[in-house]
Parts: sequence; C-alpha cells; structure tokens
Amino acid sequence: MKHPWRWIIGLLVIGFLIGLAILPGGEKLEFEVAGEFDREVLIELPTIGPFDMSITKTVAYLFIAVAVIVVFTIIVARSLKLKPGRFQYAMEAMYELARDGIVGSVMKSGKATWFPYIGAVFFFVLASNLIGLLPLPFGEHHQPSFYAATANLNVTLMLALCTFVFTHYAGVRKNGAFRYVKAWAPAGAPPVLKQMIWFIHVISEIFRLISLSVRLFANMVAGHAILAVFFAMALIFQSYLVGVALQGASVLIYMFELFVAFIQAFIFAILSAVYIGGALDQDH
Amino acid sequence: MDAEAAKELGKLLGAGLSMGLGAIGPGVGLGIMIGKALESIARQPEVAGDVRTNMFIGIGVTEAVALYAFVVALILIFVA
Repeated sequence: MKHPWRWIIGLLVIGFLIGLAILPGGEKLEFEVAGEFDREVLIELPTIGPFDMSITKTVAYLFIAVAVIVVFTIIVARSLKLKPGRFQYAMEAMYELARDGIVGSVMKSGKATWFPYIGAVFFFVLASNLIGLLPLPFGEHHQPSFYAATANLNVTLMLALCTFVFTHYAGVRKNGAFRYVKAWAPAGAPPVLKQMIWFIHVISEIFRLISLSVRLFANMVAGHAILAVFFAMALIFQSYLVGVALQGASVLIYMFELFVAFIQAFIFAILSAVYIGGALDQDH
Repeated sequence: MDAEAAKELGKLLGAGLSMGLGAIGPGVGLGIMIGKALESIARQPEVAGDVRTNMFIGIGVTEAVALYAFVVALILIFVA
C-alpha cells in the first residue's frame, strides 16, 4: 500500500459517522418556526392615542439598522480620501449603484429630486436585511436568534406606503391633479372601454402596494424559515449524523440568503424608482 | 375521522398544495425569462447592463406570485 494514512483517515471518518448514526440524538425539543416571528415587547412604554409606543424586537432591529447606516456613512464621510481604501471603495460602489444603477437607469426626469428617497430606501432595506442574517441576542432568554425588521409585514407595508404616497405626490406635483389622473387611461380609446381601463389602472395601483410589501416580507420570512429549519435539522431528525451532514447545505443556504438580502433591497428600490418615474413621465 | 382532525388535515393539505402548485408557474416563468435575458446578452454583450436591470425587475414581479402562494400557505397553517 502506497498511502496507508489515507485508509486510516478514511476508516476514522467512517467510524465517526457510524458513531454519530448510532448515538441517540439529543433531547427532543419542540421546534416551532412560527416562534421566530413573535412580537416581543422589550421595553414597556405608554400608549399614546391608538399607537402603542412600546419598544418591541422589531423596533430594536429598526434602530440597529439606522444606527449601522449612520455610523458607517459618517465614518466614510469623515475620512474621504482621493485614493480610496477598501471600506470607502465599497461604500462608493453601493452609492454609485443606487445613483447610476437604480435611479439613473430607470428614471428620465426628477433624478436629483428623488435620488435621496430611493437611495435611503435602498440602504435602509439592505441594512435591515443584512442585520437579519446576524444572530443577535434578542431571542427567548436572550439566546442568539435570527430576525429581521423586514420580516415583519408592518414595516414593509409602511415602506411600500411611503413609495405609494410619494408616487402620487410626484405625479400630481409635476402634471397637475386632473391631468395626472386623466392620463391613467389612453386618450384615444372609446368611452366605455376608457372607463374600464381607468378602473383597472386604479386597481393595479392598489395591488402595487400589496405586491411591493408582501414581496419583501415573504422573501425574508421564507429565508429565515429555511435557515431555521436547516440549522435545526439535527433536532427535527433526532440524529447527529443528519446534523453534521447538512452543515454544508446550511452554509450554502446562508450564502444564498446573503444574495437574496441584496437582491430584495435592489428590487424594492428599483421598483420604487420605476413607479415614481412612471408617475413623472406619463407616456400614454 | 372527527371534525377537528378533518380540519387539521384540510389545513395542512391545502398549505402544501398551495405552495407546491403556486411554485410551478413562477418557476417556468423565471426559467424562460432568465434564459431569454442570457440569450440576448450573448447576442449583444454591449447592452448587458440594461438587460440585467430589466431582468431583475422582471424577476421581482414574477417571483411575487410564488410568494403569494407562500403567504397563503402560512395563513392556512397559522391563522385559519
């Protein structure tokens, strides 16, 4: 035999795997995916009118996202250099993506007016999504757990509502209220058809609100649920072998979730830009 | 089968079916769309940036259909 050590290592690995398979799995834990998304109050605050001002887990995550963006941008802005370092280069690349890739490529007019909003939405959603992939100690009994502010329908609906309001505000301000609403139906259509098209357009405007918010929410919830299921595979199957064997798959899923976090922020920002641009320059 | 068990069975069956059937259409659509986008980039590499941006918009819109099915499944399991 040329390489006996190969056989020895192979036998050791096989023995380890058989041992894992024979050993009984750990204590059976009740695993609830739904528990990942409970509304947990961290600091009780009084209710003002219809609004409960308590700091929940989601609010804490929102604050963290804002703090991360503010700290990072201030650090970069304080130390701008002509020959950028790695960190400055990364921030500049993101800024350029928001300015040229998102606003510059889909909006025709009003780029300078609406870039601040769309850039802010892009960075905010990106930061919230990425923070959701770090285990932070906000779980039960302060265990580290995955959670994202954007995995809460209230947050995404509020963001989509901002885009919705700004879309119509931009359209009315640029074109005037009557002309803006009139342009929802094509000018040359016969009367009854025109009213029907106008009505369908109104419905589609409302569905934009739903699809924009539900897309981000469902993506983040699905991602976190898949991550939770893969990380808890050993508990579900009651076997250490499955747990060890699927660690590679967990890492792959995690990397895919990093990609999804970025893509969803990009899509949210670019669809906001498309909607606002469509309200500014009405073609039909 | 008593009524409670039948309700539970219906919920889980409906959730599984809604997610599985709801993923067929977006899957086919995403495949066609990304394939066409790659084709057009291969044919005209100079418009790759534009094609990619529009492809991502299309991905977002198409993918939302599967996510509606996912939300329906979640509602069936945890709310209904």
